[in-house]
Amino acid sequence: MRNIMTVFKREFSAYFNSPIAYIFIIAFLVLNSGLFMTGFFLNETADLRAFFGNLPFFLIFFIPAVSMRLWAEDKRTGTFELLMTLPMKARDVMLGKYLAALTFYLIALAGTLPLVVMVAALGNPDMGAIWSGYIGSVLLGGLYLGIGTFTSGLTRDQISAVILGIMACFLVFILGVGGVAATIDGWLPGLGSFLQNYVGLSGHYDTMLKGVISLGDLAYFLGLTGLFLTLNTLWLEGRKY
Amino acid sequence: MIEVQGITKSFGTTLALDDVSFRIEKGEILGFLGPNGAGKSTTMKIITTFIAPDAGTVKVDGIDVLEQPLAVRGRIGYLPENVPLYPDMNVQEYLTFVGRARGLDGARLKQRLDWCVEACGLVTEFKKPIGDLSKGFKQRTGLAQALIHDPDILILDEPTSGLDPLQILGIRDLIKSLAGHKTIIFSTHILQEVGPVTDRVAIINEGRIIADGHIDKLAREAMRSDRVILAVRNAPGGVEEALRGLDEVTEVKALTVRDLDANRGSRFEVRGPFDRDLIGALDRLCKQHGWELTELREAVFSLEDTFIELTRRSLRGNHDRARGVA
Repeated sequence: MRNIMTVFKREFSAYFNSPIAYIFIIAFLVLNSGLFMTGFFLNETADLRAFFGNLPFFLIFFIPAVSMRLWAEDKRTGTFELLMTLPMKARDVMLGKYLAALTFYLIALAGTLPLVVMVAALGNPDMGAIWSGYIGSVLLGGLYLGIGTFTSGLTRDQISAVILGIMACFLVFILGVGGVAATIDGWLPGLGSFLQNYVGLSGHYDTMLKGVISLGDLAYFLGLTGLFLTLNTLWLEGRKY
Repeated sequence: MIEVQGITKSFGTTLALDDVSFRIEKGEILGFLGPNGAGKSTTMKIITTFIAPDAGTVKVDGIDVLEQPLAVRGRIGYLPENVPLYPDMNVQEYLTFVGRARGLDGARLKQRLDWCVEACGLVTEFKKPIGDLSKGFKQRTGLAQALIHDPDILILDEPTSGLDPLQILGIRDLIKSLAGHKTIIFSTHILQEVGPVTDRVAIINEGRIIADGHIDKLAREAMRSDRVILAVRNAPGGVEEALRGLDEVTEVKALTVRDLDANRGSRFEVRGPFDRDLIGALDRLCKQHGWELTELREAVFSLEDTFIELTRRSLRGNHDRARGVA
């Protein structure tokens, strides 16, 4: 735990030691709120469904950009060798980094809370759906970050890391889309719906937007995130052979 | 203390280490010498558990690096060749991070920080961002990082690379001041750096240890001969031929005469086997021809000669082996 905290502090301060953190957060808020607000007054409904609905696609690009430096930067500058020769488990170093990136994302996400205040002032929104939407967004970001952390470990180049991350996140996203699942089912019956249920994102995320938090959906997000983080640790431990 | 036994490592089709073995006792300093790409860094990365060997074992304090890597890491202070620094942190933040990661806390951390900053000459740079430091100070910060937990074992990969002569002297003094308390391996491809720090040298070339032992012993073994510098004046010519005519002489090399030594006449480097009286024979020859002797001394083999001779010989060995296979 101590080791995780030590790495966490280092990684978290790394975000805010450079202007990148502020640029990221501002871009995240401006694009998200901007996108949401353009349609808001036309819809004439006081809820955040459009905002949460945009997130899975928007985060495909935003999250890998947050996680790309996690390992690639260390490999490029040589600090990777320091981290891997410290008396710490690879898993602890990985968790410290992952949690730092997750905290950064939560801060950006917290910047959207004024939207909640706004819709509450303008109408009478279903607060349950809003909070479960936020829980879904945290889980969604956590999953994408797990994927991004993993792809960052595969390369020493941040550009490659971000592109690999975007592709992997996009795959998880697109497999959950009904049309795609149906097409794959057409090639190999059963495969498309299997992937849609167990890998695909939309089904699990969309139920949360409706205000329903089920154990199955929680298991999906936490399980898949855990899988990528485990892969990351295995890769770290296997790298020396 | 450190026992390396038959380690082999290849990267793809390149054989980086081929059956490397050596051991270092507690308190010893080992100068690890070799040209670039010889396998020095790979060996150090294996000892520090950063990578694993394909075959062979490494034991640090009796602990196997593959079985208990965390226990081994805790005992070692490691300065990689590519100094691992976070440019966005200042020296204090960085050393505090490494100190905490190595289990230091509170008063102990403070005490070690003060010691490292003092010993590595970083007092003036303590609050500066690492990205703004000069190469020399970056190197020292890297060294301070390796010392922060007061480890029994120090592995320093090219600790003086890229430094100016004065900074090299500083690092050298620091290593010397740690001698006796700590077991140290430091690598370099610059031969002059080894002599002032330690007598124990291991030379590695193309992934193989080609020599291991005391510097002087290695030099004699490598050269298998005595070497004498001779200068004569008032010699009409034919000196070189006359020297070659001696039984005791196996090799004669005319040295270029620098302006400073112009009045000394012509100079030669003469070699002969250990067991013959080379100097006596040269003295008699000069008397016999009536040459005026201005210099006659035994030349000490420098580490450089040894190094070149040994690497050349191991190359020749490789070619012979290759031919034998063909």
